[in-house]
Amino acid sequence: MALQIINAPGSDSRETATQIREAIAEAIPGAEIEVTSSSAGHFEIRVVSSAFEGKNRVAQHQLVYGAITELMVGDAPPVHAVDRLDCSLP
Amino acid sequence: MSLDEATRERIEGLVRETPVLLFMKGNRESPQCGFSATVVRILDTLIPEYATADVLQDAELRDGIKVFSSWPTIPQLYVGGEFVGGCDIVQELFANGELQQTLGVQADPDVSPEINVTEAATQALKQIVSERAPEGHAVHLQIDARFQSHLGLAPPEAGEIEIKGPGISLFLDPMSASRAHGIQIDVIETSDGTGFHIENPNAPEVRALPPEELRGWLESGRSFELLDVRTPEERALSSIDTSVLLTAEEAARVEALPRETALVFYCKAGGRSQQAAEYFAQKGFTEVHNLVGGIDAWLETSGS
Repeated sequence: MALQIINAPGSDSRETATQIREAIAEAIPGAEIEVTSSSAGHFEIRVVSSAFEGKNRVAQHQLVYGAITELMVGDAPPVHAVDRLDCSLP
Repeated sequence: MSLDEATRERIEGLVRETPVLLFMKGNRESPQCGFSATVVRILDTLIPEYATADVLQDAELRDGIKVFSSWPTIPQLYVGGEFVGGCDIVQELFANGELQQTLGVQADPDVSPEINVTEAATQALKQIVSERAPEGHAVHLQIDARFQSHLGLAPPEAGEIEIKGPGISLFLDPMSASRAHGIQIDVIETSDGTGFHIENPNAPEVRALPPEELRGWLESGRSFELLDVRTPEERALSSIDTSVLLTAEEAARVEALPRETALVFYCKAGGRSQQAAEYFAQKGFTEVHNLVGGIDAWLETSGS
């Protein structure tokens, strides 16, 4: 019997990455979004949007985190950690 | 996830009413995660007082604060009702001086305190450096806002002040340096072995009050607050007449008293009460006393 690594990055992470992208796209219309997963539950996010204009880094991150909070709270959230979040202007 | 109205109102109330509030895992005395510990260490360096809320004790708060702040991690620092950031951001703001501005504390970058290191302490520090310090590490002296001193080994950082002594250099961050003038570092032998002993003349003063003197005060009808910092269980066994238990409500009442009010603290043996006394001394009380030997010494000397 082949062993299956249950927590390896796979379909769950891909699905979650899609959820992250959709949630950010809804909160920041027109944003250019890139989501990658390095390991199960860990994600790296890059967002390019003019909505970041005039905002400091904390406020920029809040804009993104606010969109995906739902995926990050609770006992076993699909997003365990955002290892890297880059926000930039187009 | 939407935040239910009750939780939102509760968090809003907390951040509005608390000048400096850290949402963290554990508490100031024992942080339960490295990130929380880092922010506690930074705040300890800058200000004597701030509040913490332990999210591990409160599931509603743990998720609630993440939604409230649009910030997915703990710790989270709030100052004056405004979200400042998590661990990384706080470290960054501390390093570039913005956190000091936000908190209204500024150290003179050119401060040059006079520090006395005894010959014995110099030798002991040199020995530690040669035996235990990794390459590039030096002796650091940190004095936090409660005037607790910490000696450690770390690489010197930009903005730190180097105090060159005969045979040994000490590095202090500017806040620590501003609290260090006249400090004396010595080595003492205790039952636990050899240790450094640091006397800081800038520390708020708590005076030792021997039991006989307290008896005199009570007999003379002198006006002062006598505060018992033990647990209700300990207090049930014995207590000093006219004393009151220092509950949270009682502490709040005392804190609101004029700063020249005389305060006397006691516990079982004098350790816990010393901490409580130091806390109130840092609050600006000028007549703060600790009953020497606690209630144990009080009962021993009662003679009846």
